[in-house]
Amino acid sequence: MALTRRQALKTAGAAVAAAGIAKPAIAQSGPIQVGYLPALTGPSSSTGVGISRGTELAVQEINKAGGIKGRMIELIQRDTQSDPTKAVNATAELTRAAKVSVVFGPLNSGESLAVVPILARQNILQIHPCWVDSLTDVKKYPMCFRNAPTNQQIGHASNRYVVEVLKKKKVAVISDTAGYGTASLKAYVPMLKEMKADVVYENSVDAANPDLKPELLRMQSAGAEAIMPWSVNAGFLSRIINTRGQMAWDVPICGQTTLGSGQTKALLEKPEYWNKVYPNNFRPVCYDSTGKLPERAHAFVERLKSNKVDMNDTLLWWIAVGYDSPYMMAEAMKAVGTDTKALTDYFNKMKKFAGVYGDISFSPDNHDGYPDAQVVMVEANSLKEGAFNLAPGYGAS
Amino acid sequence: MLFSIVVSGVAIGCVYALIGIAYNVMFSASRVFSFTAGTLGMAGGILGALFILKLGLPVWAGFLLALAGGAVLGVVTEILAVRPVLKSLDQHLYVLSTLALALIVQQFAAIEWGTDAQPFPRLLNLERSSFDQTFWLPMLACAITIVGLEMLYRRTLLGHAFLAIAEDNYAARALGLPERNLRMASFALAGVIGALSGFAGGQMLLANFDIATQLTFYGFVPVALGGMGNNRGAVIAGLVLGLFQQAANFLVGGVFSSVAVFVAFILVLLARPEGLAGVALGRRV
Amino acid sequence: MDMSTTGIRPARASFLSSPAVSTALPWLGLAIIGSTLPLWAGGYWGVIATRACIYWVLVAGLNLLVGFAGQLAIGWVALLTLGAYITAVLTAGQAVPALDPYLALAISAVAGAVFGVVVGLPALRLRTFYFAITTLGFATIVRQIALAWSTVTGGGVGVAGPVFPEPFDSQWGFYYLCLIFAAICTWMTINIAGSRFGRALTAIRDAEVAAEASGIAKPRLLMAVFVFSGATAAVAGGLFASLQSYITPDAFTTELSVLFFIGVLIGGRGSIIGPLLGTILLTVLPEFAAPLVAWSTFLYAVLLLAIVLTMPGGIAELIDFKNRRPLQTNRAIVPRPELLKRLLAEDQEPGTLTLEQVELHFGGVRAIDGLDLTIVPGQVHGLIGPNGSGKTTTLNVISGYYIPQNGRAVLRGAVLTQLAHHRRAHMRIARTFQTPRIVGEASVLENVMIGGTIDGTGTFFESLLALPRHWKDEKKLRETATLALSAVGLEQLAHVRADRLQHSELRFVEIARALMLRPAFLLLDEPAAGLSADEIRRLGTLVVAMAKNGAGVLLVEHHADLIFDICDLVTVLNLGKKLAAGTPAEIRSHREVVSAYLGG
Repeated sequence: MALTRRQALKTAGAAVAAAGIAKPAIAQSGPIQVGYLPALTGPSSSTGVGISRGTELAVQEINKAGGIKGRMIELIQRDTQSDPTKAVNATAELTRAAKVSVVFGPLNSGESLAVVPILARQNILQIHPCWVDSLTDVKKYPMCFRNAPTNQQIGHASNRYVVEVLKKKKVAVISDTAGYGTASLKAYVPMLKEMKADVVYENSVDAANPDLKPELLRMQSAGAEAIMPWSVNAGFLSRIINTRGQMAWDVPICGQTTLGSGQTKALLEKPEYWNKVYPNNFRPVCYDSTGKLPERAHAFVERLKSNKVDMNDTLLWWIAVGYDSPYMMAEAMKAVGTDTKALTDYFNKMKKFAGVYGDISFSPDNHDGYPDAQVVMVEANSLKEGAFNLAPGYGAS
Repeated sequence: MLFSIVVSGVAIGCVYALIGIAYNVMFSASRVFSFTAGTLGMAGGILGALFILKLGLPVWAGFLLALAGGAVLGVVTEILAVRPVLKSLDQHLYVLSTLALALIVQQFAAIEWGTDAQPFPRLLNLERSSFDQTFWLPMLACAITIVGLEMLYRRTLLGHAFLAIAEDNYAARALGLPERNLRMASFALAGVIGALSGFAGGQMLLANFDIATQLTFYGFVPVALGGMGNNRGAVIAGLVLGLFQQAANFLVGGVFSSVAVFVAFILVLLARPEGLAGVALGRRV
Repeated sequence: MDMSTTGIRPARASFLSSPAVSTALPWLGLAIIGSTLPLWAGGYWGVIATRACIYWVLVAGLNLLVGFAGQLAIGWVALLTLGAYITAVLTAGQAVPALDPYLALAISAVAGAVFGVVVGLPALRLRTFYFAITTLGFATIVRQIALAWSTVTGGGVGVAGPVFPEPFDSQWGFYYLCLIFAAICTWMTINIAGSRFGRALTAIRDAEVAAEASGIAKPRLLMAVFVFSGATAAVAGGLFASLQSYITPDAFTTELSVLFFIGVLIGGRGSIIGPLLGTILLTVLPEFAAPLVAWSTFLYAVLLLAIVLTMPGGIAELIDFKNRRPLQTNRAIVPRPELLKRLLAEDQEPGTLTLEQVELHFGGVRAIDGLDLTIVPGQVHGLIGPNGSGKTTTLNVISGYYIPQNGRAVLRGAVLTQLAHHRRAHMRIARTFQTPRIVGEASVLENVMIGGTIDGTGTFFESLLALPRHWKDEKKLRETATLALSAVGLEQLAHVRADRLQHSELRFVEIARALMLRPAFLLLDEPAAGLSADEIRRLGTLVVAMAKNGAGVLLVEHHADLIFDICDLVTVLNLGKKLAAGTPAEIRSHREVVSAYLGG
């Protein structure tokens, strides 16, 4: 027992010494330390693993190009293990032991819900790509910025595609019983009703349920013309896709981005089941009708290939958002230095940061930086190197 | 619709029943309930997917190796987590040791295999139908196990020996039966049955480390309701559980179905602690 | 008489190794480290320490349940979840108008107490493993409800945690708040551990039949513990929600529950300091090496397995220095029967204990087949017969473990067979057992004090807060127990762990424990088994003295010599029926008895 405390003292002292900082602001010389909170292990780690590839590449490139006015970026990374409790501990370690004042992450909403208020209380600048709506608030969290869409934007894009592009009026909405799934269901059903769609089926189902046939049969007998699943559980999503295929029921499946992931694909019984499955994705990283990526994304993929970064078992947009984030911070720091107040002011005025993933803009009243128009649906079965074709019917919208 | 519910309910019920039988076999040999029963099911699924999909072995080879893996796990359980605590049964240390071992195996699987569900191979090259192999394979496995156990217990010397140490440990030892080896063999058998459950149910449940916790609980319900050590009771209770669960999923849906199962389980148990078919506790003094 | 110092008194008494100081030292160390933490540790370790304090608030209560009472509540995280959500929802102001955080915490504690009873109730009916599984079921139910009831709990999106008002709203302020709660819980559980309730809990865990025979009512006591453990877990939940600043259902994992459980067991059962150190260890350990974090549950499980297999006593056993000192090798048990006067000389109401035509069968086996028996105060009544003749079963009927199908047992006009078995102790019927039933990890003195549990007047609540009646009870029990130990001749082993004693000494410990009831009737089940000839003689003297002081003794024995030496009356059983009854001389020459049992 006394041993533990002594060890604690030693480690704390070592951490402080290694960080070499005793001031709350970033030191004016030496490497620029940026905190990073990915979930690299645990149930929600696929996002973190993908994003990290981009983040690490970006930091590498920035440093190779001379860093920020000669100062290198040092990423101080702590794995949150997909656990909000561990995320809180990791945050404390980053902000109090290592004394970072800028943080990228967490990458999962569940962890961000706990971490965002804590960072706000300590006036730490935070950039995160999590989707849950309540994770930004200009009044409560003035130094927190989101460089990805909100759940509202995602749901809106999917709903619009089903109701206005595919012109299906009778919709079945299904989610798993996890937090993200139930929250999405509760948010999107009213949105559909507002668009005058007829929600003929809405239910949250246990993801461990091995047979979803009764659920799909119910959807079918209610006259559903489209299925909208909301879940990040590849097993659950694959069961929906497989059951639709077994029933030979020809309706589109349109919803969560994980519908298009490599993991979901691996769980499909027949490759053709993946037809007419439309997950969310983002226009800047999609193939157009000629099969080509937009200029920026194309150059990015070439860079990934030359750096031997694997894209096939993950999604391109994850790598892209991980890549864009350090660059966005670097641009801000090159402009106004490392004082967090100046950086906050800079972000509040930032318009159209040209990222690979999207054009990010913030304002003092809006810290959700991703543009509505760039959230799109894609065709799942066009997966190639982590990216997809736009879903049919998009045209120029 | 009803057909779907019944088919999937019976199929999952057979998986639960097999895990329950695994619990029972371990209990008969040692008077110990082992937390590793659910982990055996997980191992069957993961090993099957590992051997057949990742390593590309033929289905029958993967099957035998998965069962062998279950047997090994069973023997390891006996040696590490059961034998050392048998002398202090009343302290219930076996709950802790088997829980610890189950966690060790589960965490190892989570870290090495990953926490996402992985695909489980299609075992037989048949067309899909509404009464698909996904469903009748577990039923077949359950039927074979029951018949096999019956024959083992009634017709073979080994089976008689198992029954002897289950009924009266002291008398069996006095007769010269090699108690320790028989116990190890029982645990190996339980390991095979557990792995069979996971393997046969793999197409339904996918190869997933999460299955372990699910099977630990849902596999115990047939034991609790059917009476300790009572295999026939376990099968009936397992089928009822599977049907109830699928019906609840369909009728009530979502979160409340699992709540319904738990509540029903706890209420039945409180009403009849020894199970619906079990015998009350014997002499304590 | 040998008064050699065995056990705890060291050859050279030094201040630091005296028992009082060596027990207080770790607490003092922790208190100093805990209260001065901000001075020397950074904010990061402050968060970790706050978390450890919060976990300890829960584990302190769980310790009484798991470590002391032996109820394997693996899924106790259900109460943490409940407490966290109730406190958070009541302070968030969305579902209901916002309440003061302390009030919310108090309400959450009450809810935790109630729900603790709900989760704990199955423990009274179910076997150990079954109960463990049902607690896991409860943990899942609570989490699912938190997920589903999104209008109140925010569902998957969760709800913000409470913020406590000044001075506890800063990081270190909150740390001190949690430290205060942790200290209070520590104090309360230490009080219970050193009270008749704590000892009764360990008796229920390790020697349940002896606990019942001593009059301990398991349901009421367990319910009190479930109330306390539920309340502390809920308070821990409220503090947890504040530390996390935001709670979602996925924070309350099975891993967390298992962590608490492992903390208690690594610490060691029946100890307070052990689980405290265990909790600190488990909270702090993963923070030392980032790569370890992913393997943390794996490592906890390995640690648990290692402890169960090699050192089931856990950390507590490791730091139990006083029980490492060797005991004197050739000890003698020298009873002092003259002390029995002070133990037994109460107002003994006259009255005999009579069995009338008792019939007891199990299925087809007639264990007792129409038995008449009378035990008269002041007499030693021997009960002999071949194995399986129903001797122990008769004792069990009198103690109340079996209800006969026919016939009855009567004492002073009251029909005993209608009384629950733990009520028989209140009729001052005490007994010993064929195999000694003791709490191995407790000291000899504590084991004997268990016998007097029902003589206490203070309530569980008074012991929790160390109110005056608690101390009065303790003093009286300690004095009586020391007297009883002196009477049976074991006072020099009073502070030694009971499982270090020889078998014969344990039999005398059981008698001392029985004497705590100041029994009117004493049922002895083969007390001479395993004793040396010398010890049998001293046992005989003791039994005779007990009868002389007014107790009615029923002595079940195989040692014919002892029976014929000290008994006033002898009844012979065969196949559940009375074969013969009379004075020792009559029995010794009874033809049938000789042929059935005694031999020529």
